[in-house]
Amino acid sequence: MLPQRLKKAVTDNPKKLGNLIDLVNLPSTLREFVGQSQISRLGCFMRVWSYIKTNNLQDPKNKNVVNCDDKLKSILLGKQRVELVELPSLIKLHFPKEPK
Amino acid sequence: MGKIPSSFRSMTSTHLVKKPTSCPLAPPRDPRNRIARRESVKISHHTDQVSREPLRNPFKTPDLSDAKSLFNSIAATSRIPLDLKFHNSVLQSYASIAAVDDTVKLFLHILKSQPGFSPEHSTFHILLSHACRAPDSSLSNVHLVLNLMVNNGVAPNQVTTDIAVRSLCESGRISEAMDLIKELSKNHSPPDTYTYNFLLKHLCKCGSLDVVYEFIDEMKETFEVKPDLVSYTILIDNVCNSKNLREAMRLVSALGDAGFKPDCFLYNTIMKGFCTLSKGSEAIIVYKKMKEEGVEPDRITYNTLIFGLSKSGRVEEARKYLQTMVEAGYEPDAVTYTSLMNGMCRKGASLGALSLLEEMEARGCAPNACTYNTLLYGLCKARLMDKGIELYGLMKSNGVKLESSAYATLVRGLVRSGKVAEAYEVFDYAVDSKSLTDVSAYTTLEATLKWLKKAKEQGLAV
Repeated sequence: MLPQRLKKAVTDNPKKLGNLIDLVNLPSTLREFVGQSQISRLGCFMRVWSYIKTNNLQDPKNKNVVNCDDKLKSILLGKQRVELVELPSLIKLHFPKEPK
Repeated sequence: MGKIPSSFRSMTSTHLVKKPTSCPLAPPRDPRNRIARRESVKISHHTDQVSREPLRNPFKTPDLSDAKSLFNSIAATSRIPLDLKFHNSVLQSYASIAAVDDTVKLFLHILKSQPGFSPEHSTFHILLSHACRAPDSSLSNVHLVLNLMVNNGVAPNQVTTDIAVRSLCESGRISEAMDLIKELSKNHSPPDTYTYNFLLKHLCKCGSLDVVYEFIDEMKETFEVKPDLVSYTILIDNVCNSKNLREAMRLVSALGDAGFKPDCFLYNTIMKGFCTLSKGSEAIIVYKKMKEEGVEPDRITYNTLIFGLSKSGRVEEARKYLQTMVEAGYEPDAVTYTSLMNGMCRKGASLGALSLLEEMEARGCAPNACTYNTLLYGLCKARLMDKGIELYGLMKSNGVKLESSAYATLVRGLVRSGKVAEAYEVFDYAVDSKSLTDVSAYTTLEATLKWLKKAKEQGLAV
């Protein structure tokens, strides 16, 4: 079952959870969008998702797709249309793994 | 044995002329017993009014000399003779802010300056409770108080033992409680069954079984304190929780040898042990044994049995027992129905479970959050997404929180059928309704989306 596996994954790898909620110094492009210099990956996702919702950027014909405005485009690889499925992985690109 | 309600617990140290444990659920005593009085004048004329005022501690600092002078000024201005109750409340108030040795010193000061004051058990119990709760690794303060007691001609009794053991256990000092109970049994009086069982329960929670048995044997051999039916129930519950059913059965025969007859509560405990391990046949055997022995099953018995049978995949039989339950005069509740639904969902009969929801509501039994989550999980698992979404809408409008398994299955089902935006909406609801933490809600969503991407890349049918 998925949740149990997940729970195990989270408790087994505290690092994995750490890179989700740890504050990270942001690159300049993201800093402009978020409006602060540090944010966690989870916080960034929430910020982007609520930005999409408040500005009604979801395609009215297909809610699974986001029509990016210029501001959003600047942080999502300059794409015009972004599928919601890819959103977490696109945001993750801004949070590279810490070199060991 | 029940826990002492907190309102009562705070009073244990104030006024214990009677046994505290003989009626653990007794209503709180008269608050007049422990009022903190500011002016002695008030005591003489307005006792009743003072008692209704919110409790205020007359002692502002834990400083001993301040406390002494405050006491002296009250004693000097009082028009009536100060009684035992008054001295006890003074000590109680001071103990709540001061260290143990300072409280003892104030007690000695009162004893010296008030010739009319002859301390009783209740007085020492205040000091004792304070000494037991103080963060201290040794029992030296406790011994200090006990010596003080004996020197003043007040011998520790069963209430003393009870207060000491409870206070120690509540501050997590189980091994000290064990040492003290042995010492008190040796020198003064052995514990009564309530104290004994209280300690046993705490011991089971944090000690190994060997330690528990060693303690029982020692108490039995040295002090003639034997376990009773409640003790056996505590032990059986403990071993059942650690899935040691062989030991549970050994205990059942041991309690028979000791001359006890299992009651409904004990049978329920054993049955619960079997049911949590999905041993349906054994649960039925326990049920039949109850009937044989003439112990009437109660609602808990039926709920446990139906839960166990559903869990071990024997829903048909579980439904049969639902009927038996109704015939025996017990109206099935949300727990009963939820167990049954859970069993049906496991069997893949989620639609049947859904119709059970209607049946349940028709009987006037309101479903709870667990019922909804069980159903939602079952429907999504069976890929009946339309019904699942409909139920989710109902839950949302009723403000029912999502459980993590139901949430994960719903999100997965939505993503699988291409409804990613809906999955995001469920994520929002889970976060807004505080069903799950942001982290776990997001981790599930992210993992599910990743899984979809991977499945698509591999060209798998999803």
